[in-house]
Amino acid sequence: MSKRTIAGALGALAIALALVACTGTTEPTAPPPAIPSPSPSTVAPTPAEEVPVRPAAPEPARQPVPPVQVAIPDIGVSIPVVEVGIETGGFMELPENPAIAGWYRFGSDPSSSQGNTVISAHVDAGNYPIGPFSKLRNLSAGATTEVTDAAGTSHLYSVQSVTYYPKKELPVAELFGRDGASALVLITCGGDFDSSIGRYEDNVVVIATPVA
Amino acid sequence: MRNRIIAGIAAGAIVGFGLVTPAYAATPGNASLSVLHGIPDTPVDVWVNGALTLDDFQPGDLAGPLDLAPGDYEVALTATDATDASSPVLGPVTVSLAADTNYTAVAHLGETGTPTVTPFVNDTSTIAAGQGRLTVRHVAAAPAVDVLAGGAPVVEVLANPDEATLTLPASTVSAAVAAAGTTEPVIGPADVNVQEGVHTIVYAWGSLEDENLALAVQTIEGLHSTPEGVNSGTGGQLAERDMMLQGMLLLGGLVIAAGAATAVAARRARVGS
Repeated sequence: MSKRTIAGALGALAIALALVACTGTTEPTAPPPAIPSPSPSTVAPTPAEEVPVRPAAPEPARQPVPPVQVAIPDIGVSIPVVEVGIETGGFMELPENPAIAGWYRFGSDPSSSQGNTVISAHVDAGNYPIGPFSKLRNLSAGATTEVTDAAGTSHLYSVQSVTYYPKKELPVAELFGRDGASALVLITCGGDFDSSIGRYEDNVVVIATPVA
Repeated sequence: MRNRIIAGIAAGAIVGFGLVTPAYAATPGNASLSVLHGIPDTPVDVWVNGALTLDDFQPGDLAGPLDLAPGDYEVALTATDATDASSPVLGPVTVSLAADTNYTAVAHLGETGTPTVTPFVNDTSTIAAGQGRLTVRHVAAAPAVDVLAGGAPVVEVLANPDEATLTLPASTVSAAVAAAGTTEPVIGPADVNVQEGVHTIVYAWGSLEDENLALAVQTIEGLHSTPEGVNSGTGGQLAERDMMLQGMLLLGGLVIAAGAATAVAARRARVGS
């Protein structure tokens, strides 16, 4: 073996040692990597996508907390509220007596996480005095409206708008919306009265938003 | 699930413009597929196009909805320890899914007890305000049945794998299933809550012979519509009072104007004199 070769070998050894020193964390005693099993039968496959699975049993529906009273001190209105649905012809059902308001029970209630609580009352009806909701048209933005629910909880709203809509143009999809931000919608009638059909030409709509 | 949430947000955005998109909606152009396991005592794995989709799927469970591109899908059911779909206990069957259509594929027993898969189309059209939709599907190993509500037949001679649909005012219905032409329940009576704007689908499944008949329930929500309007005044007294007040104001105005004119005239007369 020539000197030169020895020197080269030593140099190579030095480099090798230097490499080991640089990678000081290397554990030479680490076991060799496990050889993958050639048989996949021992590995249970899993679904690529998580699909929701539940017992095919009725999910308990959320129980609404019906409003029972609406009070608007600015216009001296305090009116009891009962649950209503749909009357013949597909219109919102209303208590016959204008001194009683109806809450649309298929929509949201004040405790719902979203959607509009719709409460309506006749402005007037034969054989009854003119109802409290006749004063809705006098409301100003910012007026406080208090809705008390059947659990005794008070929900405060601030009036945003009072709008007259010709009845055929009432934006029912928006007003009766069950999605989106919570709001209180109060509806009654107004405008000119068509005595030939016993109907007012307009709806008066108050929108009020929750006071945090 | 993510698709569902996005669809929900999109629906919310559209509502603002006066249009209503049902909340159940899958991605537009896609199909929605739920899967019901109605074969008693037989947990399975469900494979769709060879890929494991439902692991250890239990009888009486409902999976989905899956948001799928329209087209043909090959569905196979295997034992729960299967490693692929090559040895199905049921299928493979081809399920054809159309765009914008809602399906429930039911693995169930035929009338004589032979396992099969039936894809049902779910009606997701909107429901009139105040109403609910109730569908009954016979997927049990049993002869034709009558469906009773409050003890009276509302669906008669319903055979496996047929369905019948009713639209009725939202309410809780005491439902029972009896052999066709009889009123002695073989299932129920059980309270079924037919919610407003919801399609409630009731499956009669299991086996009459094995005495494990049962009801499974699926609901599709968000099909409600709104009232036509609000007729909130029938008397006309307010309008009458308003007109009277206007009249009085007008009259008052005339009186004041007349008074002023008289005063002016008087003053002029005085000045003139």
